[in-house]
Amino acid sequence: MSAMEKSGTAVQPQEFHQDIAAKWFLMSSVSYFAIVAIIALIIAAKFVWPEFLGSIQYFTYGRMRPLHVNGMLFGWLLAADIGLSFYFIPRLCGVKLWSEKLGVATAILWNIIILGAVFALPAGYQKGLEYADLPTPLAVLVVIAWLMYGFNIFATIYSRKYEQMYVSTWYLMATILWTAFVYLTGNFATLFTTGVNQANLNWMYTHNAVGLIFTPAGLAVAYYFIPRTSNTPLFSHKLSMVGFWSLAFVYVWTGAHHMLHGPITQWLQTISIVFSIMLLIPVWAVVYNFIASMKGQWHQLGENVSLKFLMSGTIFYLLTCFQGPMHSLRSVNAIVSKTDWIPGHAHMAVMGAFSFFAMAGVYHVVPRIFGTKLHSETLANWSFWLFLIGGLGMFTSLWLGGFWQGWQWSTGNIKFIDTVIALKPVWVVRLLSGVLIATGIYTFMFNIWSTALGTKLPQGESAAV
Amino acid sequence: MTDYTYPSVLFAYLMFFIFTATTGYFLFRSVKAGYWGKNSEEPKFRMLEDDPLDPHTQPKAHTRN
Repeated sequence: MSAMEKSGTAVQPQEFHQDIAAKWFLMSSVSYFAIVAIIALIIAAKFVWPEFLGSIQYFTYGRMRPLHVNGMLFGWLLAADIGLSFYFIPRLCGVKLWSEKLGVATAILWNIIILGAVFALPAGYQKGLEYADLPTPLAVLVVIAWLMYGFNIFATIYSRKYEQMYVSTWYLMATILWTAFVYLTGNFATLFTTGVNQANLNWMYTHNAVGLIFTPAGLAVAYYFIPRTSNTPLFSHKLSMVGFWSLAFVYVWTGAHHMLHGPITQWLQTISIVFSIMLLIPVWAVVYNFIASMKGQWHQLGENVSLKFLMSGTIFYLLTCFQGPMHSLRSVNAIVSKTDWIPGHAHMAVMGAFSFFAMAGVYHVVPRIFGTKLHSETLANWSFWLFLIGGLGMFTSLWLGGFWQGWQWSTGNIKFIDTVIALKPVWVVRLLSGVLIATGIYTFMFNIWSTALGTKLPQGESAAV
Repeated sequence: MTDYTYPSVLFAYLMFFIFTATTGYFLFRSVKAGYWGKNSEEPKFRMLEDDPLDPHTQPKAHTRN
């Protein structure tokens, strides 16, 4: 018996994984990805033509934007990460998922929440808090769904065959615990505060939603799929632990950097800057590990679509996490804060890094759990290049535009409306980039659904890309 | 309307403290469980062999150094 196995547990052949809950989450998340892409395009079009659909209350900017943000974050990305975790956690633990029925019930509840948001947010039922727009009844359902999901995953991990857990398991457990804290603070504690304190708590939630929900979930996915898709061991498990624990210690304090130069205490602003700079430690530990794992394996990028997504996501993760600490500095923040730079940064994190990781996972997992072959490798490559080129166009136009916008504001002698008009070319580029990204998303969705509905392969035949 | 600003800020500080304390506790536990010792690299090799039903990803002969 291996020293790494839990005492009293013999090595057993791998049980058959049903993956029903994974199928539910993955297929619904891919569908929401495509639906919300339309909302994103409508918003991008409104920047170019402000009157576009402006006379219909359900399509006004104030109602579309929360639907876009919540749809992408919870309908697509978090649901995809949940679905992928239902795939890799049982495998990493050497056991079946604790309850497929509970997993499917969670997926049904999750779909009810997302569909509820699709009707509630355009109808104007929202809290008006960044990332916490969902009406309270739906937010309560999110808490219930998260408890169901967390119980299922922790029960699976508790019954694991091996004592030592792979780093993806660590990150996923942390995601579950941190989400509980972060989500409750952002969606409920903020309701009992007013003014600047409410804004401060809300930004703590918003930033930690990225840093303590989507970052650990995304890294859990990347840590699993980079070795699996390249069939190469991770460079260093010990280094992955350094990344994990440093993230755990430093991230929670960084949210207040959104309030720099605002009416909050200076010590809190300084602490948020210091901890933002310290984020370079976990980020570089993660990125070095991913890049070093690819040593001698770069040739695989040519023919492995999942790996293309994973390594591009790694580069975007490095860039966004270098950008974040740098614009936390007071001098840089004075220029870029509240400008288009910030959505450029946020999109690179959530779309550039974590959506790339999730798409890689979906491309790897869907043929396997449905027992089919990937419908089209060509389409998969198209989805990658459309997403990459569109993403680069969007990020760079928003950064440059944001910096320009901040410079214009800081001069103090340019009328605000003139700064808005000046940015129109930037928003045209953003719209065109959005069209490329949306086309990539539809290609991705078509390919994944066609794969899921494709002809089943005989038992034992490779389902891989 | 009652303003719960101070209780909520104290709640946030309490959560920060609980976070830091539990992080420290589990970090200590991870040292005791051997994640920083000589067998700490074992999981990265085992994860490549976690799905024998997936013929595509049958592991190569990975070196366990």
